[in-house]
Amino acid sequence: MIAALLPLLHLLWGSLSLAWGRRARAIAWVALLGDVVLLGLLWPRILAGSEVRLALGGWGPGLGIAVVADKTALWFTILLVFLEGGVLSYLRRTTLAPVFFMLLHLLLGAALALLFSRDLFNIYVILELLTFVSYLLVGYERRSGQIWAGLKYLILASVGMNLYLLGVAVVYYHTGTLDLTLLSSRLPAQAPWIPLAAALLAGGIAVKAGIFLYSLWLPRAHASAPPAVSALLSGLVIKMGIVVLLRLAPIFPLRTALLVLAGLTGVAGILYAYVALDLKRILAFHTLSQIGYLLFGIGLGTPAGLLGATEYAVSHGLFKALLFLAAGTAVNATGQRAVPGLIRERHRIPRSTRLALLIGTLGIVGLPPLAGFCGKATLCADLPSAFLLALPLLFTLGTALSFSKLVPLFILSPGPSAPTGQATAYAVLGLPILLFLPAVRPLLSATEWAVALHPLPFAETIGAIVLGALAYRFFPSRRLPLPRRLFRLEEAILTLLAGVLFILVLCLVS
Amino acid sequence: MPGLDGVTIAIVLLGIGLLGLVLRRDLVMKLLSLGVVDASVILCLIALGARRQGAPPILQPSAAAPYVDPLPQALVLSAIVINFALVALALVFVMLLVERYHTTDPERIEREIAAEEEER
Repeated sequence: MIAALLPLLHLLWGSLSLAWGRRARAIAWVALLGDVVLLGLLWPRILAGSEVRLALGGWGPGLGIAVVADKTALWFTILLVFLEGGVLSYLRRTTLAPVFFMLLHLLLGAALALLFSRDLFNIYVILELLTFVSYLLVGYERRSGQIWAGLKYLILASVGMNLYLLGVAVVYYHTGTLDLTLLSSRLPAQAPWIPLAAALLAGGIAVKAGIFLYSLWLPRAHASAPPAVSALLSGLVIKMGIVVLLRLAPIFPLRTALLVLAGLTGVAGILYAYVALDLKRILAFHTLSQIGYLLFGIGLGTPAGLLGATEYAVSHGLFKALLFLAAGTAVNATGQRAVPGLIRERHRIPRSTRLALLIGTLGIVGLPPLAGFCGKATLCADLPSAFLLALPLLFTLGTALSFSKLVPLFILSPGPSAPTGQATAYAVLGLPILLFLPAVRPLLSATEWAVALHPLPFAETIGAIVLGALAYRFFPSRRLPLPRRLFRLEEAILTLLAGVLFILVLCLVS
Repeated sequence: MPGLDGVTIAIVLLGIGLLGLVLRRDLVMKLLSLGVVDASVILCLIALGARRQGAPPILQPSAAAPYVDPLPQALVLSAIVINFALVALALVFVMLLVERYHTTDPERIEREIAAEEEER
């Protein structure tokens, strides 16, 4: 009941904030309060170990749309509440049209609906709604760069969702159901159509999940959007694609494909971020690279891998949102977008903003025991072969290498003071990053908790970070001949189609 | 027509739409190609749903014969509305771009925007 009510309430808040524009901000705070109360009622039931299930309209299984609240959804709702609080505080003193708040509510409502959704077609509709809303939010300030980035996003996402829908058609034709729970029991072990369906579904979702080759719209859209919007898009909307992959991966034979894509997106994201100088572009490329960890966990398919991916998705949402918000303030305060310019003008960045950037950076490189570390440690807890461990360690090393450019920003000299709203936002997002390990204790079982405290990942991660920072001293030159044309519209569509074929081949091979 | 069922037509249409999307250097034509892609996927859903022959899925007291699966037809309805809204929204942004740059050529728009960002 609550699981169905949560998204619906946001649609109500959305229309209310449009109808009663002067009170839109107050309505948004009421919405946050409502979310916390309703989720507070839902959480204990899920934590007690039961899934909350509801078939909409009272239709039987297979016909009605199933709404299921499980532990994975629980993790992501926590992320959603923190992001909602953080972004609302950040926007406290800015003037915004009521339509911005309507879009915000639609975004949150769609995200909540997706978390509880277990129906292939329902997922399609919600992802399309997310596409619309993010498109309009990216172009909210109507600058040409934003409009163009939004348009590219819309076209690519639409091609991707069409491929996904083709996959849905194939699945429905052969199994006669759209419900993921029923599907897992009805899917034959071997059938020639399964790789095709898997490639179409996963390739379509990959466009929205921020995977390199598929989501080439992402760097531009996330780098040009207003800071609060970038925070939501990178923190929440990208994770929605990941949630769908989390649901699909146990059913379809996607493991090899996801592991290969994990390596690809991780390495490519880090390389592009390493050569980039524009702060927001660096952050956007690191969204691509950090998705590598998530795909790695989902591709492993072990309980530890899936839990680690979920944990890391939540942590990544927190620190990426914090980084984007702080980067937005820093860029506004100095008028510089590139890192060298920001370092030159660093005394003009408020001290709290510098601190927020520092916390976000420590989180994203995964310094133990902050947020990023916990998920990474869990990911690698149960590897089938020690050889695979190289991949996450390589990502950590690369992330540390790329973020070393920001180190001169973190000086402690006093600067201008930031508005209280922004400081609150940093606290709302920064404290969970710092206190992630103790805070997630109630969500984990004793063995899962012990994994995060194991000394080995501690040593490995610190080693990788130190190596990365050292590597930056020896390779500070940033001239690599990376293909830039890839990010244009036509090339991006072609790489997307090639990527779907790539998944198909990987599914056939495995 | 024998040998030419809806699924084949859908796949051909999908190819045409994707080619148009990649090859046409005109944003409006690109969006129309996107419409062709949308239509092909919708046709594919309907054709797959109706592959097992039967009567139209309308509840009548006399109809006992096997009828076509109604679910894909219901799904398609939502998909059509979504695609319509999507192309309409995209055209609004294309209009804004045309007003500013007086061209629908994506290459030129890309270049002009890159030049603008260099200046800032």
